[in-house]
Amino acid sequence: MPTIVEAFRARAEEARSVVHELATWSGVATLALVLADADGRIALSPSLARAQPVLSERLGARVLLPDPGDPARSVADAAVGIVRGELAVAETGSVLLVEPELADRVVSMLSLTLIQVVARERLVENLDAVATTLAAGGPPAYASLTTGPSRTADIERSLTIGVQGPSEVHVVLLG
Amino acid sequence: MTDREPPPTPHAIAPFAVRYRAALADPNVRDGLLDFQRSWKATRDEQIASVEAITGRSFDALRGELAEIKDGVLADLDGHLARFRARAEAAGTIVVEVATAADANAYIADLCRQRGITLAVKGKSMVSEEIGLNAALEAAGIEAVETDLGEWILQLAGEHPSHLVMPAIHKRRGQVAELLTRVVGRHFDPDDIPAMVRSVRTELRERFLTAGLGLTGANALVAETGTVMLVTNEGNGRMSSSLPAVHVVTVGAEKTVPTLADAIRQVRLLARSATGQRITTYTTFISGPTPGHELHIVVIDNGRRAIARESAVESALRCIRCGACANVCPAYQVVGGHAFGHVYTGPIGLVTTAYHHGLEAAAGPQSLCVSCGACATVCPVDIPLPAQILDVRRQIAVRGGGLAWAKRAALRAFASRRLVDIAALAAAIVTWPVQSGVFTRIPRRLAPRHLGWRTPPRVSWRPAHARPALHAAQPPIAVTGATGRRVALFLQCVADRLAPEIPIAAARLLRAAGAEVVVPEGQHCCGLPAFDAGERDGARRMARATIAALDGHDDVVTPAPSCVVAMLHEYETLFADEPEWRDRAAQLRGRVHDLVGYLSTTARLPRGALAQAVAGGGGAEARVTVHRFCQGSNLLGAGDRLERLITDLCAIELAPLAETEVCCGFGGSTSLTAPEVSHGILTRKLDNVVASGARVLVTDNPGCVLHLRGGVDASGLRVRVVHVAEFLAARIPIG
Repeated sequence: MPTIVEAFRARAEEARSVVHELATWSGVATLALVLADADGRIALSPSLARAQPVLSERLGARVLLPDPGDPARSVADAAVGIVRGELAVAETGSVLLVEPELADRVVSMLSLTLIQVVARERLVENLDAVATTLAAGGPPAYASLTTGPSRTADIERSLTIGVQGPSEVHVVLLG
Repeated sequence: MTDREPPPTPHAIAPFAVRYRAALADPNVRDGLLDFQRSWKATRDEQIASVEAITGRSFDALRGELAEIKDGVLADLDGHLARFRARAEAAGTIVVEVATAADANAYIADLCRQRGITLAVKGKSMVSEEIGLNAALEAAGIEAVETDLGEWILQLAGEHPSHLVMPAIHKRRGQVAELLTRVVGRHFDPDDIPAMVRSVRTELRERFLTAGLGLTGANALVAETGTVMLVTNEGNGRMSSSLPAVHVVTVGAEKTVPTLADAIRQVRLLARSATGQRITTYTTFISGPTPGHELHIVVIDNGRRAIARESAVESALRCIRCGACANVCPAYQVVGGHAFGHVYTGPIGLVTTAYHHGLEAAAGPQSLCVSCGACATVCPVDIPLPAQILDVRRQIAVRGGGLAWAKRAALRAFASRRLVDIAALAAAIVTWPVQSGVFTRIPRRLAPRHLGWRTPPRVSWRPAHARPALHAAQPPIAVTGATGRRVALFLQCVADRLAPEIPIAAARLLRAAGAEVVVPEGQHCCGLPAFDAGERDGARRMARATIAALDGHDDVVTPAPSCVVAMLHEYETLFADEPEWRDRAAQLRGRVHDLVGYLSTTARLPRGALAQAVAGGGGAEARVTVHRFCQGSNLLGAGDRLERLITDLCAIELAPLAETEVCCGFGGSTSLTAPEVSHGILTRKLDNVVASGARVLVTDNPGCVLHLRGGVDASGLRVRVVHVAEFLAARIPIG
C-alpha cells in the first residue's frame, strides 16, 4: 500500500501539479524565488502575508500584495503567487482553497505560477473530508477544490495546460 | 404533457432538415466525433474502474446512490428549494424563482439596467443557452462575452454548442485556426493548439477586469448550506463569479441536492462521465456574495415541473449534464449535436427538448435514434433514456400531428399477417427477375441513389413458416437440459420472410439439443416496429396477438433477440394500464428466451459438440469474428455470451472485433427514415470488421444479419455474414 503522501503525489502529478515536501515557510520563500524569473514579482495572499511575516521578510522587494482598490488588476499575471491551502486530498491530488476575501482569491486566480501550501497534517485520504470541512465552519463563503493548473480540451479534445487560471501549480506539503 | 406549449426557442436554430443536411455535408463532424468517441470511451472506462476501486463499490451501486439522492429531491422539489433559499438569503444571496425563459431574461436585463451594466463576462451555462440569454441581453444593449474557450469560439463563429460539455467538439483545429485568424487578426497555425488557447486569455483579460456582470451556471445547489457548486477546468468560472461586482447564476430547479456530501458524490461521477477526468481543475463552492458584491441566483423552471409530473420521463431531471449519453451514441457520431438534438444535444436532448422547447423542436431528430440502448449503460444517474425517448415519440405520434400517413398505413398493414404474406408474395414476384442468392439486385439506374449503400435482401417466395424444412426431423446429438422439452419457436416476422434459413437453422439446433420444436400458429410480429414509431395502439394489438399465440408454452425460443427485448421490456410499458394483459405479459417474460441464451443454459450442448469442419461455406480455417447485437449487450446484459457459446461449442478461436457491442446501424426504422445515419454507423462497423481480418462475421439478430450482409455486398467486401443459428447448424454432425 502506498502511503497517503505517495498517493497524493501520484494523483497530483497526474493532474500536472508539482509536489514538494518542505520543512519551513522559509523554504517556501526559496522555492518562490527559484520559480520566479530574476525580476518576477511574487504575489502573496493578504491573509497569508499577515499570518507568516517570514515570507515578506525573505522575499523583500519582490513581494506583491493586492491593492485593495483594484485587487485583480494589481496582481494580474504575477510571476508567482503563494496561497495557503486548507486541505490536501489524496483521492484526487486536489488542494482546497478557502478564500472568502477577494484579495486572497485574485492571487490564486491570476498568478502565472501558483504555490499552494498545505500543512502536512491537513492531508486527508478522500473527498468525503472536503464535505465535512466545508460544512464545519458554516456555509463556505467561497471555496475551491483545485486540482492542477488550469486546462482545456475544447479544441479536438487535445489537453492544453494554462487557460485563464495559473499554468503551473506547485503544492507544498509543509512540516 | 405540458399545460402550455413552451415558447419557441428564443434564438435562431435552423429547421431540423437543414441542420441534418449541413451535418452530413461536413466530414469534419463524423471524422472528428469518431476519434472523440473512441478516446473518450477509453478514458471514461479507466476512470470508472478507478472510482470503483476507490470506493469499493460498483458503477451500478454508485449511480444508483446518486439517482436515489436526485429522486429524493425531485419528490419534494419545492421543499428543497425553500431550504436552499432560506440558507442562501441568510448569507445575503438574492434568490429568484422564475417560470419561463422570458422571465429569467427580463430579470437579468432589468438588473443590468438598474446597475448601469453594459458588459458581462460569461462562464459556460447550458441553461443560458436554453433560455437564449445572450440574445436577450444583446437586445437590451448589453454585451455578453463567452469566456469558456469552446463557447467563445462558437460565439465568434455565430454557432450554438453541439455538445453539453465540449461545445465546439464538432470543429476541427483547422477550422478554429481559420476563425481565430479572421477574428483576432493575426495568423494562427492549426497545429499550434496552445497558441490558440492562449489567445482566449489575452483577448479576454481586459473584459474580465472591466465587466460589471459575471454570469455562470451551476452544477448543483446545496440545500443545507445555500451553496452554489460550480465545476470548471479553465478557471473562467472562478473569474466570472469573483471579479465583476454582480454575479448572476442561471440554474435549473432540478440541480438541487440536499447536502455538501451529496454534492461531493456527484463530483465523483460527474467529471469521470463528462471528460474522463478524475475531477475537474476547479470545483467551486459559493455561499453568499463576496463582501461588497452582489450574488443573484435565478432558478428556472421552463418545463421542469412538467417533466416531474410525467412518470414516464420524470427521472430525466436527474441529469447532471455530463454528456456521456452523446459520447456513446452511434448516431450522434455520424451527425453531431447540431442535428442530433436542439439546444440540449444527444439522447437526453431528445427527451428534455420536448418540455423546454416544445414537441415540434423535439420531433425532427427522433428518427436518428437507433434504439441501441448504449446511452443508458453510461448514464451516471441511471436515466432510462431509451424508454424515455420512445415515450416522447409516442407523444409526437399522438399530439404532434401524428405520423406521416404513409408510415401509419404501412404500420397498420403490417399488423396483419395475411396482408404481409400477400405483400411479400407480390414483392417476391415483382423482384423475381433481379433476385440473386440472398439478395435482390436492383439495377443501378433504377435504385434510389441514397439507398445504394446496402443491397436489399431477397424476398422469399415461401416464408419459413410454410417450408417443410422448418418441421424436418433432426436426430439429437447429445442429452441436454432441453431433452424431451417442448420448445415453441417464435420465428420473427422479418426472418420468416427475408431470411427463412435463420428460423430453420434454429429449429435444427434445438432438435439437435433434444428438444421437440413446435411452431405456434397465429404468431406474427411482436409489435416492436410500431412501438418504436410511437404507434402504441398498433403495438398493443400485435403484442396481444403474440401473447395469445405463445400461451401454454413453457419454453418460447426465438432467433431474434430484438423480439425478446420487446417482450421483456416494452410489453410492461404497453400494458401499464391493462392489468390483465400486464399479467399475461409478465408470465410470458418468464418463459421467453433468445436462442443464444437458451443454447447457453437449458439446451447446452457438450463442449466441442459442433467442432466439425464445415463443407463449403467458408471453411473451418477462415477467421471468424462476432458482432454483438447492441440491445443484447445494452439491455439484456448478454455480455460476451455469444462469443463464449461459439468458442465452446465449435472449439474455434475468434478474432476480436473492436467496438463489438456498438450498434451496426440497422436500428429498425432509422435505416429507412435516416439512411445516411444508418450507413454512417454501418461504415464504422465494417471498418472494424476489416481491421479484425475476419472473413466470417457472426451475429445473433436477424435484422443485423440482413443489414450487415447488404452493406458488405454493396461495399464489395469479402466477408460472409451469418446468423449464429446458421453458423452453428452448419456444424451439426451428420448421422
